[in-house]
Amino acid sequence: MAAMEVDGGDGKPLLERKQAFYRSLDDPFEIRDEKYKGQQYSQIYFMRLHNMRNLIYPLVPKWKPQLPVCTVLGLEEGKECIIVGTIYKHMKLKPSILDEYSKERSTIPLVKPHNFMHPDDHLVLEDESGRVKLGASVLAPSDFVTGIVMALHGKETSDGDFFVQDVLVAGLPPQVERPIISDNKYVVFISGLNVGGSMLNPLQFQLLVDHITGHLGDDREQSMASQIVRVVIAGNSVEVPKGLLSGQMVTPKEQYKIFEPIKELDISLTQLVVAMPVDIMPGTNDPANFSLPQQPLNRCLFPGASTYNTFVSCTNPHSFELDNVQFLGTSGQNIDDLGKYSDAKDKLEFMERTLRWRHLAPTAPNTLGCYPFTDRDPFLIESCPHVYFCGNQDKYETRVIQGPEGQSVRLICIPRFCESGIAIMLNMRNLECHTLSLSTNLDF
Amino acid sequence: MASSGGIRVFYRQRKKAATIAGGVAKPSAASSKKQVTGAVKVPTPAQQIHHGSIDLSGSEEEYGPEETALRQFDMDMRYGPCLGMSRMERWQRAARLGLHPPPEVADLLLRRQEPGGGGAAAVNLECLLDGRI
Repeated sequence: MAAMEVDGGDGKPLLERKQAFYRSLDDPFEIRDEKYKGQQYSQIYFMRLHNMRNLIYPLVPKWKPQLPVCTVLGLEEGKECIIVGTIYKHMKLKPSILDEYSKERSTIPLVKPHNFMHPDDHLVLEDESGRVKLGASVLAPSDFVTGIVMALHGKETSDGDFFVQDVLVAGLPPQVERPIISDNKYVVFISGLNVGGSMLNPLQFQLLVDHITGHLGDDREQSMASQIVRVVIAGNSVEVPKGLLSGQMVTPKEQYKIFEPIKELDISLTQLVVAMPVDIMPGTNDPANFSLPQQPLNRCLFPGASTYNTFVSCTNPHSFELDNVQFLGTSGQNIDDLGKYSDAKDKLEFMERTLRWRHLAPTAPNTLGCYPFTDRDPFLIESCPHVYFCGNQDKYETRVIQGPEGQSVRLICIPRFCESGIAIMLNMRNLECHTLSLSTNLDF
Repeated sequence: MASSGGIRVFYRQRKKAATIAGGVAKPSAASSKKQVTGAVKVPTPAQQIHHGSIDLSGSEEEYGPEETALRQFDMDMRYGPCLGMSRMERWQRAARLGLHPPPEVADLLLRRQEPGGGGAAAVNLECLLDGRI
């Protein structure tokens, strides 16, 4: 909390920063004492199927009463039934490590496509007993990815495929009622700072820090800044020159180029952290582990900022509550991966799908790096957040989606700050968003 | 690869008749399990071909009904895959998930873990395929 002393002292009131009660819900994402015992990913898929099946089974009688539920092995030809299992999408263009070893080096393109979809992709449903190929026009493979658990109504055809007539996904999870907040409290979301990279204009970032901490502007600006209760930095805060990370020896002269960006970030973070609580999440380029859930950035990277108790280093994905408003978000890897293996009209639609599938990252561990948990699948969404954000996207987009039981979620795509100069401000009172756009361009 | 039993496991003299999923071992196989000590013959290619079935009954230990029960537990797909977890952990996970795993399995594993316990029951704490995949 920073009490802003207004210059002049001529009876002007002190502006105090608002506060909100924060509680971190990152427990399932932390890997504390997990010991890798050589397990493979079958365990996490089993946990996912087991938990999701228990969620879907109660929904089935309401969806299609009278129809029997059976396992894949228990399918009989022509008998209409419901099967529940994990989807696997067979993709022709999906890069496979085995291509390196294939005898015939057919035309493997040097440039990898951004999206691996192909009209010949087909879906397969799998449970513990077996798998069956899915066929029908009801199910468009471009809308689905590997790793979703759902229920299918249909029957087995003579050539062994399962002809799908209807699809059921778990849907939005139950939501705790949003509390009524009487005054305006803002949360600022930034992502893709890429400090140390060539794209970021350091002056733009400094402007942002100054503005949020209330060092800029007149009384009205400062009073708006005093209503900001928290800053969430959603990944990719640092960009280390890639050439130095190739595994070769780095001379002491060059070593400064590696830690210089982090030092710069620490200086700016310290200015922010003095003024208000900051949550920093790791992203793809940050010095954290590669596989999801990414562990919090080590405090020793931020010798300046970590001395303040307002500095919170969080996992990716990050889940927290502020004044009982539930937030959930990632640094963008899950949505980007969905974008590579499926199709939607915009990124918000991917985000909505992950909520309706009740799984943050269904493509993990298939195409997204993931830790092989044995006792849980931490990406299952148990309770619906009020705000669901995703960092490092191309542009700012936001929408509110509704659920069948009165759930209401604000979806936010946070653009990369180094490219756009935009930070997002969310008002916790009514969950409305607006952009905070900073520019150092002198021509108007 | 499991190297318990040493070179005699590698160059097995006689093919063991035991099957993977707790099949009943033939009585003649029990006596043929005793290896010829000291004589390590170089196996012919015919001996090395296992004719499709991998011999998984471990090194020279005989396994009794207790181990058979545990292997049935390993292969039961209701409790999830058996690889990558110790049997006790898998049992505890199944219990936590409310799948009601058979309590006899837990007893067998606990008895094995007690010092000096279990008598002659030679049960393995890890699943059958542990270390082989």
